[in-house]
Amino acid sequence: MFVSNFMSYPVRTVGPDTLVPEARKIMSAASCRHLPVVDESKLLLGIITDRDIRSALPSKVVDQGEMTECLHRFETLPVKRIMTETVTCLTVEATLDDALILFEEHKVGALPVLDADNRIVGILALNDLLKAYKKLFGLGVRGSSLIVVKDNGKPHPLTRLTEILEAREVPFTRLIRTGDNDRDTLIYIRIHTHKLHAIYHALAEAGFETVAPHPISLESPGFLRRE
Amino acid sequence: MPLSKTFVYISHPRYLEHDTGGGEHPESPERLEEINRRLQTLADPGRIVTQKPAPAARSWIMRIHSEDYLLRFEETALAGLGYFGHPDNQLGYDTYEIALLAAGAGLSGIDLAEQEPAAAIFCGVRPPGHHAEKAMALGFCFLNNIAIAARYWQEKYGRRRLAIIDFDAHHGNGIQAAFEESPEVFYLSIHEHPTFSFPGTGYAEEHGVGSGLGTTMNIPLLPGAGDREVARAFTRRVEPALADFRPEALIIGAGFDGHRLDDMSGLAYSSALYRFLGQRIAALAERHCEGRLITILEGGYHLPSLGESFSEYCSGLRQSS
Ligand SMILES: [Zn+2]
Repeated sequence: MFVSNFMSYPVRTVGPDTLVPEARKIMSAASCRHLPVVDESKLLLGIITDRDIRSALPSKVVDQGEMTECLHRFETLPVKRIMTETVTCLTVEATLDDALILFEEHKVGALPVLDADNRIVGILALNDLLKAYKKLFGLGVRGSSLIVVKDNGKPHPLTRLTEILEAREVPFTRLIRTGDNDRDTLIYIRIHTHKLHAIYHALAEAGFETVAPHPISLESPGFLRRE
Repeated sequence: MPLSKTFVYISHPRYLEHDTGGGEHPESPERLEEINRRLQTLADPGRIVTQKPAPAARSWIMRIHSEDYLLRFEETALAGLGYFGHPDNQLGYDTYEIALLAAGAGLSGIDLAEQEPAAAIFCGVRPPGHHAEKAMALGFCFLNNIAIAARYWQEKYGRRRLAIIDFDAHHGNGIQAAFEESPEVFYLSIHEHPTFSFPGTGYAEEHGVGSGLGTTMNIPLLPGAGDREVARAFTRRVEPALADFRPEALIIGAGFDGHRLDDMSGLAYSSALYRFLGQRIAALAERHCEGRLITILEGGYHLPSLGESFSEYCSGLRQSS
């Protein structure tokens, strides 16, 4: 649940006077796209991205004389001149939910993670967040699949569901109940068995309705209407 | 009407003794009894040969499975513990030995395919294999019969470039895991979409790993998909991919649980689809591999559909060109 369980650390960082070509080399060696800029005490000063570096490279349309000058400027440019100084950060106490909200709000590719003294201790890239949620949902776990049951208002649906599974010694690892006012309440369960049909039968016997998945059909008028 | 090709059915009476506890377990001995019955009704009975395999040598099994896993498997069977790893994987005292015999069927089939590439060869085995991984029993599978056969074909006969087509309703995670890093073994699987189906692997986005990138092809179909979707996938994806890859031999994972009456999947194939698959597969083997082709049984649990699909598939295999 905490970003600290999913962030990358230790983080490769650079000082503010590191030259941009050097930073570029570090990024490609570490195959990362975000490089935090810190002072001697590891306090965060800013961040540079591969895109910042590309923008600093001389344009190909300039003439030869200008090109040489631009290249020289690039070679001697310190990262502090191109870094973004206002950086959105997470704390070590932040949860994945915090990260999701920040990523959605700020449209950034990575969020540095800071300790209580504002020193950088890790970095969470958008891809790390995706991996975290993949793990959380149990996607790709061998031998598991998701079944979807309608909550039809009868009492204690979760208790009854888990009893059915446990009575049959069927392990399950995720149980999610969604509640949306204008839609059916659905219960998602990741169960681990090859005998899915036996579970479907048992659920039907207990009065549960399972939901057959349907993608949105582009031809149907329902595509534009929210059902 | 042209004569059907010689049909060789490789199976062993001991496969019926793999005990999954009776009762409600879908992977039952009756599955093979049903196939044996259908075997009697295939066309050209004079050209049907049945053959018993020898057990696979441990050294071949260990090309795919770890020694520690084999020890645990054998111990679990002999100890009468009922199941191995997960309650799905029920076994009996004899299951370990029978699993070696099941793995042996593919090897006998390959020996035969090398001698008589014109024959249609079907290995009717249980327990099935394609979910079994290096050190994990899964989905009624203990030893990965197909993966072991593929290694045997590569190493005994030097057929390095192999293609495995798996049309069982479920993704063969064990086969993919064994060969996803290998550029020499192309695993192609058509199965129900992993979001809704066991074993939850086999997304279209998985193409192989490292130097094996490009020699894994997953074609997931949504619940409800039928003959049309499979035929389209076969023509547009599988056949062109094999034309590019140019395999030297072909192994088929034949699972019949995509049948619309089989409730082990949400797929809705008809029995006739399996004839189509048999024909197209035999044609592929003739086109690319001088006929070197073996088929190994995987799933299929609704007995009448299993029997009918089996005979349709075999007719297709024997009919081509
Ligand atoms: Zn299957």
